[in-house]
Amino acid sequence: MIIVFIDKNLQKLLLLPFLLFVQPLVAQQMLQPELRPEVKQDCGLTISGKVLDHDTRTALPGATIYIPQLDRAAIADAYGNYHFHHLCQGNYTLKVSFIGYTTETYSLRITTSTVRDLQLHSDAAMLRSIEVVSTKIIAESQSTEVLKGRQLQQTEGLALGRALEKLPGVSSLQTGPNVSKPVIHGLSGSRVLILNNGVRHEAQQWGDEHAPEIDALAATELKVVKGAAGVRYGSDAIAGTILVNPSPMPDTVGVSGNVSLIGNTNGRMGTIAGMVQGKLQHLPISWRLNSSIKKAGDSHTPDYILKNTGFEEQNLSAAVAYNREKFGAEAYYSLFHSKTGILTSAHVGARDDLLNAIERGRPEETGSFSYNIDRPYQDVSHHLLKLKGYYTTGDLGKLLFTYAFQQNAREEFDKDAPRHAPEAPELHLDLITHTTELVWEHELPSAVSGSLGVSTIWQNNTYEGRQFIPFYKNFTAGVFAEEKWRSGNLQLEAGARYDFKDLRVKNLDRYNTLSKPTYKFHNLSGSVGALLDVGYHFTFGTNLSYASRAPHPNELFADGIHHGTASFERGDPDLTSEHALNLSATLNYHTNPRLNGGISLFYNNIYNYIYLQPAREPMLTIKGNYLAYFYKQTDARFYGADLYLTYDLTSQLHLNTKAAIVKALNTETENTENSKYLPGIPADRISADLQYDFNDHTNSGLSDSFVSVGGLMVARQSRSDSFTDPNMPAPEGYFLLNAEAGTTLKIGRQPVILSVSGNNLLNTVYRDYQNRMRYFAAETARMLLIRINLPLVLKQAS
Amino acid sequence: MKKFLRPYLAFLMMGSLIVTTTSCGDDDDPTPTSDKELITTVKLILEPEKGNLVQATIKDMDGVGGAAPVKETLVLKPNTVYTGETLLLNEQENPAVEIHTEILDEADDHQIFYTPSSGLNLTVAATDKDSQNRPVGLATTFTTGAASTGTLKVVLKHQKGTKAAAPGNANAGETDIEVTFDVIVQQ
Repeated sequence: MIIVFIDKNLQKLLLLPFLLFVQPLVAQQMLQPELRPEVKQDCGLTISGKVLDHDTRTALPGATIYIPQLDRAAIADAYGNYHFHHLCQGNYTLKVSFIGYTTETYSLRITTSTVRDLQLHSDAAMLRSIEVVSTKIIAESQSTEVLKGRQLQQTEGLALGRALEKLPGVSSLQTGPNVSKPVIHGLSGSRVLILNNGVRHEAQQWGDEHAPEIDALAATELKVVKGAAGVRYGSDAIAGTILVNPSPMPDTVGVSGNVSLIGNTNGRMGTIAGMVQGKLQHLPISWRLNSSIKKAGDSHTPDYILKNTGFEEQNLSAAVAYNREKFGAEAYYSLFHSKTGILTSAHVGARDDLLNAIERGRPEETGSFSYNIDRPYQDVSHHLLKLKGYYTTGDLGKLLFTYAFQQNAREEFDKDAPRHAPEAPELHLDLITHTTELVWEHELPSAVSGSLGVSTIWQNNTYEGRQFIPFYKNFTAGVFAEEKWRSGNLQLEAGARYDFKDLRVKNLDRYNTLSKPTYKFHNLSGSVGALLDVGYHFTFGTNLSYASRAPHPNELFADGIHHGTASFERGDPDLTSEHALNLSATLNYHTNPRLNGGISLFYNNIYNYIYLQPAREPMLTIKGNYLAYFYKQTDARFYGADLYLTYDLTSQLHLNTKAAIVKALNTETENTENSKYLPGIPADRISADLQYDFNDHTNSGLSDSFVSVGGLMVARQSRSDSFTDPNMPAPEGYFLLNAEAGTTLKIGRQPVILSVSGNNLLNTVYRDYQNRMRYFAAETARMLLIRINLPLVLKQAS
Repeated sequence: MKKFLRPYLAFLMMGSLIVTTTSCGDDDDPTPTSDKELITTVKLILEPEKGNLVQATIKDMDGVGGAAPVKETLVLKPNTVYTGETLLLNEQENPAVEIHTEILDEADDHQIFYTPSSGLNLTVAATDKDSQNRPVGLATTFTTGAASTGTLKVVLKHQKGTKAAAPGNANAGETDIEVTFDVIVQQ
């Protein structure tokens, strides 16, 4: 003991002259109160990390971090990063504050350099005064877009696919007014992976008229990773990944909630959505219940009713989480059910019927408004059960285990009821999926962070009645690793993944002969990227990624008529995996007082790209002539650019512009008599809006009032010809005028958020190239979406 | 870490067990179903006022996308009036299903249209009526003129909801059947 005591004092004594010399620099560090005598002093330590919004996980540039023991403060930079250098070992308090957020205090004991993210909760009293500023924080080298906050609120009432169209580079493939599938850089379906609450959404994604079975209203963030993004969630993400994230479970004691009412004048849609959540006082248990009900009748174009385009949707979800510092668990269940009417007159037989419909220029049957949904319609239900657990592995990271069960039941009813079974659907598909994932997310002291993991998928697909896609069982197992290394203004990333897929098919051919082919696929994906901060205002990211996707049973075994397009499709059992090599570069100009913006360029080569090639000769049948399409493989090239610019004319008046171009080429037919184009690629588009934020008087009872006026211009898809579109040339380009307004009203202590969005205000008659109904009818007319939202605080911590 | 690895491994093993057991066993194979409404055969039976019965058939036994339909040529006498009957059959079933009787039951939503090519001296008129007194086309009169050759297009339209709006419009509705007979009118 004595020796230790002397040793400590001796040390101080020896340090004294040095201390006196550099006193102004390090004096504060010596103020620290508790220096354990047995610990050897090390004063070259660093605390760093990010200041984040607890709910949205966005960085909070400008947040202040203060260490009272040292009387030192730091301000988070443009990415929310903060750091303190030259610290000695010991206990510190980090006091983090930022306007609009509750000040939080974190206690830290430091023995080595530490990376620690600090999370802030938005201050409920000030909640509405925070606005999503157009600052873009870049965390990944790959081009990524996020929709949240007010921008996301302005899409409430739209389907997921339509909401995502707000992001540059994302469009949607539609079937009438109510079915929309997200398209990233011209690719969709099985090539776009959707993560619903962290679980790979597994449904019949291959179908063009199969919209994702996800309640967009339950999400507080929609994130899109553009380009081959297979490493983390599965190598088949050739086009990109969409993450639909709910807000994290509440971690303050009390009960809160939310009620929304949404109405739409076109289709007379009404939606009611509610949420309650809370955290128990004496146990670390939080819970949430979410529900929404939507009902819509027939939509209309400026000239006529779109008969049988009503829909209804019901959603229910429940979550319980148990969170301790060391470990935790979460259970989540959601049910999605929808019944969607399909335009009556869009159901055609032979090609002559389709040509007659195009010649007619309007649907054969229009009629008057109705909420009834008759044949043809789709009835889809999707169950998701998710169980998740985590375990903190020291200071280094977290081990996460997720199991999910999904059941997707899809019934499609054709226009004419079968005479022998009038109630039966023409198509009934059942898909059951079990997924598991074990991931170790880590942040090593050496500025390396990343995740390592394994995952499995087991699926069983069956049908009742007639075969459209065969019975199959799919088992996929994957391993992956991805790491980020950050030093100064440079971040490097690398990742790799391997998936093994075992596919066992039971196929009945047209002569009712059963065959049981089996397939084994080995799919690799990988990515390398770099992110460089060039000065304070420029960030440059570049990424090279590779992904490969095994063919879907639909592409292997399709054999039949596709109603609505008067086409016949046939798969090819010998298809192999397609591979994408995607190069992207993103430049962002940010944190400027007036002009901010970004451009991202992509160049995606897809080898053995699986697509439907039209045959030169129509197929002659007893039911008339059909266009015949065959699944083939070719090499394709997708390239283009996404651009956004914001300009703050004054502190209240902002101009926002977005543009996207996608070019797609079939490189094998490029120099032959066949078309070099690929069908169904989004046309070039540009949108702009001017937004004015009011300076609400504090005693006016209003806050966050804004109005905006904008337009969307979509060009004609000139990169198309009689080969890509044999029935009808690509429709003309169009311009739509849109406007929005919103405010928050305070009635007593209850805030009421009101907003209205108007689309197609000029009642423009137009058709969109990416709508599969463009042969039959025009797009919908003027539409006003009206929203009332009440955030509720039901019980606060006592 | 082990605590969480163990259930995962257990699950993995369970999962692979499911795969191996299900792939070995012959569980739930898809059951063949027949499309009861399939039409494989269009048959024209024509009876002249005097003389022999004339027949012609177009058959497509394996549905859309299989082999091309097999055709017989319709040979008619000039300047003759035939009483016609059109049969629609599903010959994948045994005995063949007479789809034309089902069409007759739904006559208000169906009509068969006959379109001779120009140059062929033939006119076809429907003689049967639905409940609204509109033509159906399963019973017909074929009237020939001078000797000639050409084709006759026979189209069955399903005009649910549209037959009333535009009666007799060959471009309305959905095509159930569309075949083209080669026709020779000769002595």
